[in-house]
Amino acid sequence: MKFPLLILSGLILHALPATAQAPAPAPAADPFGLTPDTPAAPANAADIYRSVVRIEVSTQVADYRTPWNSGRFGGGTGSGFLIGPNRFLTNAHVVSNARRILINERGSSVKHPAKVVYVAHDCDLAILEVEDAAPFAGLSHLDFGDVPQLESQVRVIGYPVGGDRISVTRGVVSRIDFRPYSHSQVDSHLVVQIDAAINPGNSGGPVLQNNKVVGVAFQGLRQADNTGYMIPTPVIRRFLKDVEDGEYDHYVDLGATEFALFNPAMRRALQLPDNGIGVMVASVTPEGPCDKILQAGDVLLSIDGKPIDNAGNIDVDGEQVVLHEIVERKFEGDTVELEFQRAGEKKKATITLTAFPAARIFALCYGERPRFVFFCGLTFQPLDLNLYATYQFSDPRVRKTYQNYVKDTIFKEREDVVILTRVESDALTTYIGGYAGKMVDEINGVKVTSLKHAHELLYAEKQPEFITIKCEGISRPIIVPSAEVAAANKRIMQTSGIYQPANLEAPSSDSR
Amino acid sequence: MRTFLLPLLLVLSLGSLTAAPVVGAPGLIRINSTIQTYSVSQPWERNTPTKRRGLGAVLSDLRILTTAEMVADTIYIELESADGTRTAPAKVLAVDYEANLALVTPIELDQSAWVKKIKPLETNGPVDIDGTLDIWQLEDNGNAIRTVGTVRSVDQLSSFIAGYYFLSYEVKGSMQSASSSYTLPATRDGKLVGILTSYNSKDQMSDVLAPEIVALFLADVADGDYVGFPSLGVATVLTEDPQFRAYLGLTDDHGGLYVSRVLPGSSAEAAGLKEKDVLLSFDGKPVDRRGYYDDDRYGRLFWTNLIRGKKKVGDSVKLKILRDGKTMTVTAILQRRVDPLIPNHIHDKPPTYLIKGGIVFQDLSRPYLKAFGKEWESRAPLGLLDALRNPEDYEEGRNRLVFLSRVVATPATIGYDRIASQIVTKVNGRPIEDMNSLAEAFKHPVDGLHTIEIDDVPYVLYLDATQSDAVDQQLIKSGLPELQRLPE
Repeated sequence: MKFPLLILSGLILHALPATAQAPAPAPAADPFGLTPDTPAAPANAADIYRSVVRIEVSTQVADYRTPWNSGRFGGGTGSGFLIGPNRFLTNAHVVSNARRILINERGSSVKHPAKVVYVAHDCDLAILEVEDAAPFAGLSHLDFGDVPQLESQVRVIGYPVGGDRISVTRGVVSRIDFRPYSHSQVDSHLVVQIDAAINPGNSGGPVLQNNKVVGVAFQGLRQADNTGYMIPTPVIRRFLKDVEDGEYDHYVDLGATEFALFNPAMRRALQLPDNGIGVMVASVTPEGPCDKILQAGDVLLSIDGKPIDNAGNIDVDGEQVVLHEIVERKFEGDTVELEFQRAGEKKKATITLTAFPAARIFALCYGERPRFVFFCGLTFQPLDLNLYATYQFSDPRVRKTYQNYVKDTIFKEREDVVILTRVESDALTTYIGGYAGKMVDEINGVKVTSLKHAHELLYAEKQPEFITIKCEGISRPIIVPSAEVAAANKRIMQTSGIYQPANLEAPSSDSR
Repeated sequence: MRTFLLPLLLVLSLGSLTAAPVVGAPGLIRINSTIQTYSVSQPWERNTPTKRRGLGAVLSDLRILTTAEMVADTIYIELESADGTRTAPAKVLAVDYEANLALVTPIELDQSAWVKKIKPLETNGPVDIDGTLDIWQLEDNGNAIRTVGTVRSVDQLSSFIAGYYFLSYEVKGSMQSASSSYTLPATRDGKLVGILTSYNSKDQMSDVLAPEIVALFLADVADGDYVGFPSLGVATVLTEDPQFRAYLGLTDDHGGLYVSRVLPGSSAEAAGLKEKDVLLSFDGKPVDRRGYYDDDRYGRLFWTNLIRGKKKVGDSVKLKILRDGKTMTVTAILQRRVDPLIPNHIHDKPPTYLIKGGIVFQDLSRPYLKAFGKEWESRAPLGLLDALRNPEDYEEGRNRLVFLSRVVATPATIGYDRIASQIVTKVNGRPIEDMNSLAEAFKHPVDGLHTIEIDDVPYVLYLDATQSDAVDQQLIKSGLPELQRLPE
């Protein structure tokens, strides 16, 4: 019943060029604008131990294969620590899909009911509060330090498997890198690799150096020993600053990808001198921050005044980092200054950064009941990573649509890509059982733009004699005689145990 | 219809009651082939040769009938006498890969006097279901082994190229392991009926190409140029689903096949067939909702036999169709099938390619994608798979789908090393419709640069024209035979 530490598959593509150590962050800002009566940072180990808590979580994990069902009930434990008055920091994955959260203080068996105040799945962090803060009033609030130096020693504190009491392990900082965060499956940020043992249950616990928190333990590596990963303080500070206004706004994105300009002929074609400066814009996310400002084939020369080299790296305090590191530290509504070249002509632009919700189709969604529409034995679900991971679609059109959803602006015409995921057995569906796993294109001749739209079309009050459903990759329409809809729905829902014909509730913005 | 191939002649069972040695069986000859295909990923190279030993049926005029599998991609074909004492090099007169039939003949007539002494087989007509036929094998010493098999059923099967189905007998009979058993002639009353294309030792069933198909093949060869079997050129969907039938307005006494696609340039298109038409009958033979018709001899057979098993190119077929609720009749003049954008098979033609500065271009074929292994349908590059599944979205302005298959590391391709499997749209501003237009486009660099446009990130690549030519010359020096091989 221990909460599993998130494990990286090891096959995750190294999507971005490796960056060296990130620059030291801005001076330690008071994360919450904490009140003056905040207890001082603890000076001794015993005080620190008391501020590290055990978090017990009961979960309900949605089953995307039977979206009408309740899903699986389960649970686990993780760690967390006090960072302000009734503010516990932990990992998002510790409290994802939670139905009940209980916090245990060290040396006490009292379980304090808690709830999630903020959760950021894109950087795997969450803040909890307990219903009754009084028992925690005298405890120290742990303070944050900077990114630790390579080879320096750190301590990991938490409640991992192997016993009930607090555990402390030591290790050194082995690597500082820009790596995928496995919780959302799509985001990459700065991570610090340490060789201290991080085990299931350690998740969410603090990593300390000189009695200051330098990271949150969060994931391991399955096929390697002594590799633990922690979320370093620049990422934590960004999260804490983001939620200062009372809600989490997500990371912002430039909405442009680059192609390294190593090739001399390519540089010549783009009218660039052979000086190692400039990276080509490979694609611009439609409707993203750079849309209509940059275009594919432009050459980025600098960002916020920092020259961009031909691999897309910039120099920050003597360290080479990818240019997106500049954007990583910024917030919704912040700007970056770009200098770029188009057809030999130099241009400048100020880009206002925004989050890009459509791209979250590629991130796992947590704590939501799956959306679906049931209609006469057919189940329709919107395509996202949860669905993709559940069904492993083999149809090339579905795979291609998913992969190019943002790049090819599919999100503009289809808020949801609706997939026919299941066909229940019934006299009405005898000959269409093989059509599951295809993408719905039209219903009654109308292009389907979202799951809600599909629902409206399927359950419209006035229907033609035959309802036609056209899917990509099926060479004939699926036909449902409208006269049979009511009876078929009733019959099939009853025999298949489907008690609800649809769930159209939009997922909350902090579900992924 | 069977959709998979049985393993070819893994004969494991020992002797059977029906097998008896026969000395001097008529019309049998051994064929030894050396097969050498081309590398899919490095199309300028050939793979390691393999050998295949089978039998042929000697017909009149020194023509020897065997399967296409015995001659496809061969670099050397040799005829060998039944007793193994004489050989003669042979050449292919005609081959049909889809029907899996081929005719070979000795190259040098003066070396092949021994072939002339073999008594040729006459051809026989069809065998009824439950009728018997003799399947012939040769022992090492030259004795013939006869296995009597019973025709259990008749079906359309594909034996060499997946997806092309031809009338075949399914014959029950227990055969033994013998040399040269890759393809075996089957006779009745000493006359050739068909060619055995596969044998499953587990259930002792063989597939024998039907005499109708052999006769059509031989007739096609006899009139000069070999053309091949005709095709209507439609994709169809069965109409079993009662909801779908009601929607189409098909009554219960009708069968019908729904036309989901009419291939451009096909017989069906010329006849005016349209998507959403329902095919009701062929030359007065109604087809049922699963596509079967009542064959006078064999019972229920799939409708494609009415085209492929009964007609030749140039023949016409009268189609009764249902369109918008009304029945009407159209006549289609049958043509050879249209060349698809992405060929299903390539044999005896070396794959085309072009190398520029180390960038390798090829045109897409199904064998290229299948080379990604058993799981190719999920492992092959997604963009190319999508083109195979949805060719209609790629056909405009193209005869073939030209793609950038890989990048060989050269000084000209610095920074391009990880680009692969991208569909090419334009080169030097010219739209690319096939390998020839690609070669032509590369003759026209602009300002000393080649501009290559592809359909995915980074969308455009540049090569220095002078440098890439120099690099190409170095590739030749390092062992590449040619920089390009274009279609003839």
